[in-house]
Amino acid sequence: MLAEIGLFATFFAFLTAIYGAAVSLYGERFARSEALVLSGRNAALLTAVLLTVGVGALQIAILTQQYQIAYVWAVSNPQMPTFFRFTALWGSQAGSLLFWSFLMGLFTAICVLLNWRGQRRLMPYAVTFMLLTVAFFIGLLLFFENPFDRWWVIPSNPVEQQVVRAALMPAGALEPDPIALAQTAQGLNPLLRHFGMAIHPPMLYLGFVGFIIPFAFAMAALASGDLSTNWLKITRRWTLVAWLFLTLGLLLGGRWAYDVLGWGGYWGWDPVENAAFLPWLVGTAFLHSAMIQEKRGMLKTWNMFLIIGTFSAVIFGTFATRSGLVDSVHSFARSPIGFPMFAFWFISTIIAVYLILWRRSRGELRDENAFTSVFSRESLFVLNNVVFVALFIAVFWGSFGAPIASELFLNTDITLGQDYFMRVTPPLFAALYILMGVAPISAWGVTALSSMGRTLVIPVGLTLASLLLFFLTGTRDALALFAYGIVLLAGWVALVETVRGLQARQRVHKESPLSSLRALYTRNPRRYGGYLIHFGVTVIGLGVIGSTLFQQETQQTLSAGQSLQIGGYTLRYDALFNGQIAEDGRVMDIAQLSLIRDGQTLATLRPRRDFFPQTEGMNTMTIAAAHSTLENDFYVLLVDWNEINANAATFKVYINPLINLIWWGGIILIIGTLIAAWPREILPARVRQEMQVSGLARKGA
Amino acid sequence: MAEISWGKTTQPQAAAQPKIASQVKMMVGIGLLIAAVAYLIISGTSSGARYFITVDEIVRDSQYVGQTVRISGAVIGDTIVYDSQNLIIDFTIANIPEETSDLAATLHNVVNDPSSSRLRIHIENQVMPDLLQHEAQAILTGTLGADGVFYATELLLKCPSRYEEAVPGQINGSA
Repeated sequence: MLAEIGLFATFFAFLTAIYGAAVSLYGERFARSEALVLSGRNAALLTAVLLTVGVGALQIAILTQQYQIAYVWAVSNPQMPTFFRFTALWGSQAGSLLFWSFLMGLFTAICVLLNWRGQRRLMPYAVTFMLLTVAFFIGLLLFFENPFDRWWVIPSNPVEQQVVRAALMPAGALEPDPIALAQTAQGLNPLLRHFGMAIHPPMLYLGFVGFIIPFAFAMAALASGDLSTNWLKITRRWTLVAWLFLTLGLLLGGRWAYDVLGWGGYWGWDPVENAAFLPWLVGTAFLHSAMIQEKRGMLKTWNMFLIIGTFSAVIFGTFATRSGLVDSVHSFARSPIGFPMFAFWFISTIIAVYLILWRRSRGELRDENAFTSVFSRESLFVLNNVVFVALFIAVFWGSFGAPIASELFLNTDITLGQDYFMRVTPPLFAALYILMGVAPISAWGVTALSSMGRTLVIPVGLTLASLLLFFLTGTRDALALFAYGIVLLAGWVALVETVRGLQARQRVHKESPLSSLRALYTRNPRRYGGYLIHFGVTVIGLGVIGSTLFQQETQQTLSAGQSLQIGGYTLRYDALFNGQIAEDGRVMDIAQLSLIRDGQTLATLRPRRDFFPQTEGMNTMTIAAAHSTLENDFYVLLVDWNEINANAATFKVYINPLINLIWWGGIILIIGTLIAAWPREILPARVRQEMQVSGLARKGA
Repeated sequence: MAEISWGKTTQPQAAAQPKIASQVKMMVGIGLLIAAVAYLIISGTSSGARYFITVDEIVRDSQYVGQTVRISGAVIGDTIVYDSQNLIIDFTIANIPEETSDLAATLHNVVNDPSSSRLRIHIENQVMPDLLQHEAQAILTGTLGADGVFYATELLLKCPSRYEEAVPGQINGSA
């Protein structure tokens, strides 16, 4: 029953999305019919409702263990805890496609509800582009990867082929025996049973889907001819929200890899990781250069290309990940959706580029200002954009470009490993941090170098002071100090600028520093939220440098009671508890160790190995234990142990300096983004009133 | 959302004259930057490039001895020997033909086909990965020694389609 409800709801969503896209475009562009345009709007809302029903049906089917549905059978089993029954919705290809379509449909509906009245001219076109994307993804799941397929038994078939998979009951088929199905159900891949993995995919999807909205508006602007900065202003918050989720998704993915994959690292420059990083790079460039267009009316064509690049990277990333194009630990199994996804990516990119060139050739994307000085803020922003795009190209080339080009033109397979990325990206990241330190204190138009130098005195002083601290605590490597220096400068500039804003306010208003700070964030959320984001990125940078350059590792076999020494720590192996059975049926072998420094026991660490008896294939998982402080992570893996007397066990130990700054920096960055993106409605009533009054004044003028 | 103005907008300086000189400077700067990036990418590519070859090719062709390459093969479970004290893993992989539609089935076939080319792998300082097991696909970076053993420095594993293409076994139907 649930399968039918889900299937039909999704199928109708496919129809309403296509209908909505068609009548919106036709009604607005050709028929000039308000009724048709409104019908398209309603179709967008209905699509979201139908997709909600579809996702709801699949979710309920997983929760109520309807194993006759092939997807439910593949991602869950009777032993699974309820929490993972929720996350199993996106545990595999078909379900995650449905979930993705649902999010996209939901975003479209929210966008229609929020912006319809204000943006009547752009909306029909935007709806067309958004619904076409939705329809494409629904089409993929309906025709290639159907999450509502069920198992059927056809007794007349030869024994080997009696069990078949189909959406609707084939002729002569019987319903399979539910008890037997429940017994063979696969369950979620053990690697995915982690909190980070549970929320990492939806975060990434929200980020990906979120970037489609600014893209749709950019396309709407090009198609409608309303090429003012309107589309940027409407989608600015969408872009920030999408960026926030994408950033969160990347951070959570790193955290998951660090906790679960057991190699002491969080980022491996794997093609699939890079596929999610690519839209982030262009998206971040876009966030910056959009400001120049808003304030100075410049870079109009460039911004169009950036937002299209972001969308393109999202679709390409999805395609690359899901089609089995590249070898990666993450990639989904080879799938028939590869070709249609590639075609969609190619066609949408071509249409977008054509629209830009067409409007440009008519002179409608001309900039309102020209560059006046090399050290103006807009020039530095352009440089920032160039570096972001360079990083994008370098990462794209390394993960996809070189392998694909070598296969096409040289008839060999060439892949670029970690060493490529470790060579190419650090100088570019360094350039970004330097720009991050300098650009915020430059002025629009022309910057006087002398005033810029004066503004830099305090941050540079603070940077040198912090470097001295690093030096005194043992960092002697010149390159590392240089790297810390440029990262720190960016952070100090952000902090000092915030303090300056605070002081300026305090001079004018009689108020407590705390309410001044609040006022700073509510009255100028973009600037000060932005500074907080920069500060967060600095903290992340320190963590990355520390954990990359100064990681220590060792491995040793210890008998119970024996210890190993590393980096001033003593690790003592106390006992092994094997064969512990957990609630979800996994069997755990747990080692217990004491971490000691200066004669004091800091922590008891329990690294373990889990075995999943019900799971076929990959059924063991090595789970690290870590003692986390701001200074470092002491990260221990249980590598092996003597099965018989459990007396000797082998451990691999990593010390990752400053690694927790990455997660803390991530939290700061998220807070900064929330401040920058927070709806204005939370502003004090007085401020709102002022805004209304000035708005009325403008209208009256 | 649309009615909201976005923060303070700095008014553009009145009729700022576009200075050709600074535009030229800017272009030169960006040009230099692009050149630097191009250099980085090219040098990175030439030093980081790894030929991805098949087990067949590396076994047949002696030109690969000593060269850093990437290979992919099907892991033969019985051959895995793990020295956990010294973190050394030895195992054998079987050749995976280039054109495969069903990777899981191919992995299964080549592992059980004695005529498929095989290659012995030796990797040091490597904790036994959870995914290293019978019929997994191993992707290795390393060099082939003169002794015919592949000395790997990097090991990547995939257990394809276990979760995607499995079909329930014998189940009885009920009307």
